[in-house]
Amino acid sequence: MNGNGTQQIKAMFQRISAAISAEKGRLSELDGAIGDADHGITMARGFSAVTRRLSGTDCETLPPSEIFQIAASTFLDSVGASTGPLYATAFTDAAQVLSGKAALGASEQAGIVEAFKSGIKRRGKGDRGDKTMLDAWIPAAAAAQDARERNAAPAEMWEKILRAAEIGCESTKSMVAARGRALRLGERSLGHIDPGAASAVIIIAAMRDTFGEP
Amino acid sequence: MASKKLLARKASDNQADVADTPSPMPLRFGDDPYVWACWLYYEDGRTQGEVADIMGISRATVNTYLADARSRGIVNISLEPARLSSLHLAQELKRHFGLGDCLVVPSDDGARSLIDRLGAAGGQALSRIVKSGDTIAVAWGRTVLAIAEQTVSNVQDVTVVQATGGTRANFAYTPELCAAAMATAINGRLVNITAPALVKSRETRSIIMQEPLIADQFQVLQAANKIIFGISSLRPNSTIHTSGFFESVSIQEYLSKSAVGVVAGRFLDGQGMPVNGPLDERTIGIDLDTLKTIDVRIAVAGGYDKVPAILAALRGGYVTVLITDAATGAAILSAEGVRPVTARQVRTRSQDDTSQAMGMRSHVKKFLNDADEVVEEMLEGLVAAHASHVMPIGGSQRSLIARNGPRRGKVGLVIGGGCGHEPCFFGYVGQGLADAVAIGNVFSSPPPGPILDCARAADGGEGVLFVYGNYAGDVMNFEMAAEMAQGEGIEVRTVLTTDDIASSSIEDREGRRGVAGNFFIFKVAGAACDRGLSLSECEMVTRHANARTFTMGVALEPCSMPQTHRHNFEIGPDDMEIGMGIHGERGVTRQSMAPADAIVDGIMDQMFAEMNPAKGDSVAVLVNSFGGTPLMELYILFRRVRQRLSARGVRIEANWIGHYCTSLDMVGASISVMHLDGQLTELLRHPCDTAALRIV
Repeated sequence: MNGNGTQQIKAMFQRISAAISAEKGRLSELDGAIGDADHGITMARGFSAVTRRLSGTDCETLPPSEIFQIAASTFLDSVGASTGPLYATAFTDAAQVLSGKAALGASEQAGIVEAFKSGIKRRGKGDRGDKTMLDAWIPAAAAAQDARERNAAPAEMWEKILRAAEIGCESTKSMVAARGRALRLGERSLGHIDPGAASAVIIIAAMRDTFGEP
Repeated sequence: MASKKLLARKASDNQADVADTPSPMPLRFGDDPYVWACWLYYEDGRTQGEVADIMGISRATVNTYLADARSRGIVNISLEPARLSSLHLAQELKRHFGLGDCLVVPSDDGARSLIDRLGAAGGQALSRIVKSGDTIAVAWGRTVLAIAEQTVSNVQDVTVVQATGGTRANFAYTPELCAAAMATAINGRLVNITAPALVKSRETRSIIMQEPLIADQFQVLQAANKIIFGISSLRPNSTIHTSGFFESVSIQEYLSKSAVGVVAGRFLDGQGMPVNGPLDERTIGIDLDTLKTIDVRIAVAGGYDKVPAILAALRGGYVTVLITDAATGAAILSAEGVRPVTARQVRTRSQDDTSQAMGMRSHVKKFLNDADEVVEEMLEGLVAAHASHVMPIGGSQRSLIARNGPRRGKVGLVIGGGCGHEPCFFGYVGQGLADAVAIGNVFSSPPPGPILDCARAADGGEGVLFVYGNYAGDVMNFEMAAEMAQGEGIEVRTVLTTDDIASSSIEDREGRRGVAGNFFIFKVAGAACDRGLSLSECEMVTRHANARTFTMGVALEPCSMPQTHRHNFEIGPDDMEIGMGIHGERGVTRQSMAPADAIVDGIMDQMFAEMNPAKGDSVAVLVNSFGGTPLMELYILFRRVRQRLSARGVRIEANWIGHYCTSLDMVGASISVMHLDGQLTELLRHPCDTAALRIV
């Protein structure tokens, strides 16, 4: 299904929402170890608001970028916390990258991942190694960029992106938080995976399931 | 035999026996010759012969007394806990990573820097490890130099070889200097690699490597049977960046390939796999494969920022002897998911303490209907109950405005944050205090929408002041709302509250979080606005109030979220969490439970150190419950706070005791003190009428 980008984005949000809801408990548990245990709840609330809003919207006539705009404002209004502005900015940046495009080839798909990363990075003012969701998104975006430059096929590209995100997420275990609430814990955040990085992996896996099927 | 006679002897016999001795037992030992013998031997440091003379008994009897004293528990021989803990850590690290040896420096020595302590430990270790006839390769770095400076050895015929080429860079721990210092320390023959560590191109490197002189030097390096090296992290402040040894562009490329650390100038990823990048083929020095062939590979490194890098070196098998400090050692193990045998000193935690304590009860009872509706249902009740103070803005209960609050010509005060802190924040909305409040979900910031609604409703043409606690989420959402309001022509100024003195050091005052001291800061800001001060003046006095407000909290039991009905984590039966915030996130340190006065003393000591009040100063005090602690205990705390203040000659101008800024059902309390001056006192006394605070 390479034709209708709008439908793909809509399907992507549905897949993300379902995956996050399924992992809600695990995410909150991860967050409980170093934060206030609400990450799973917050993320699930945000993405289900997005899918509700999209299912109530006649998307047929809208371009993919518009879907991301709707997702951004819906996510922001329903979530708050820090994930609200972070993902809302990610979606807004993706909307800009896709502006004027109807079909989403591998290059556009890679562009979405890169836009997510740059939006989150700009809003959160963080970097790799801070023990945040960026530890998954930055390597994921690097893998996307690499695949785009190599003209890799979508299936292979998404495997690489997901793998990079998983490794990045796992690496947060040995990091001391430099940002966010876990920052106060200092070395006590060691040994725990960052919940924001874990949810990023879930999102990316859902994106792979949407785009990466041959 | 003397010992048999002694063991058979009854206590009543002692008197007669002692009376016969030439030196009567001093009174303080009562009738107990065991204690006397132990005192003379262990405390006075006498020999067994001297003890025998003093006590008038045989040396054999003294020996028996001392042995019996140990088996009867009169004498306990114990290792100092910090040392014991580091021994356990070393053992665990050695086992887990299959090391040949491991040395862990205790962490409790505050007098010397970490590098200095590691240098001393490394020096000692090296003195034992280096044998006559060795060829030892030396890498560069601050720690390596510290070791060289503290190594003493009298071995012979040792060759010290530089592990990498040299550098023009101008710092004290260049490869040349490190190798030279080591050669001097162990009186060895020095072999330098007389080529640059980094050359311009691959071609240059291959030309240099063909030079007979360099080839000879590399032959010595290949023959090394021991190597000593540091491990560098790639975090922004690491030596790799600050030394200027590597070009920062190239470092970025390694970072993007997931490099986490550097060993002897070579980059490693988190699993210890070599990361290849632009520098490798231009580097002159030992490569990782050669390094691995060396028999004894001594790595010396410490510091939390280095944990991923040290782990990489361990996982990759580059280390056979690790020298680190206890805090880092514990961190490495906990990052690996290994729990050290004695965790007392290092206080790492894993999730199994949750499951253990939860075994008793896994479900916290709550008055709820639908967990997803808690916030809306609470707000419905709240808006109805406090209708005389607040009302919803538009149709949403997520932003409330004060009745009799905003007016033309007055700066508007907007506060807000997540819920779960009731009566914060809505309780401080009303005449003379805040004009509007934006309410998020449990412990999570409201989105920009409701905040913007508040700004619009509170604006009286003189601008709006945002005052809220310093948390990443709140900052992002309030900042976005401020940008939107500015776009509509409403001037917005922001003051972040940062009163929690436990949350970070005084140097990072701006990074601290805002907790119950909000109460005082809101009050001052509200009064300033109500008095008709300009936006700049309101902002300034609010900053002033924030700078003079100090809070510290202690939790005894964690809170439970309405959604999960479970504690986020557990605080052990005999523990308390110091420096607790108000979001159910963990505190800063965990300590053993102590009496109320001792807890208050700990808090007041730290507070006085920062506040530095003079005799005759006055303060306002807030003793605040986190939700689950009753007034009875709050008054006990306040009693001691007052004693401490009065002993210091500080007067309490006003005090509040109760639930003012809570954290759901958390058991615990915080103490806030605002250090008053004329202006703050006046603003504190200014009348206000809100749901949680009324001053007439």
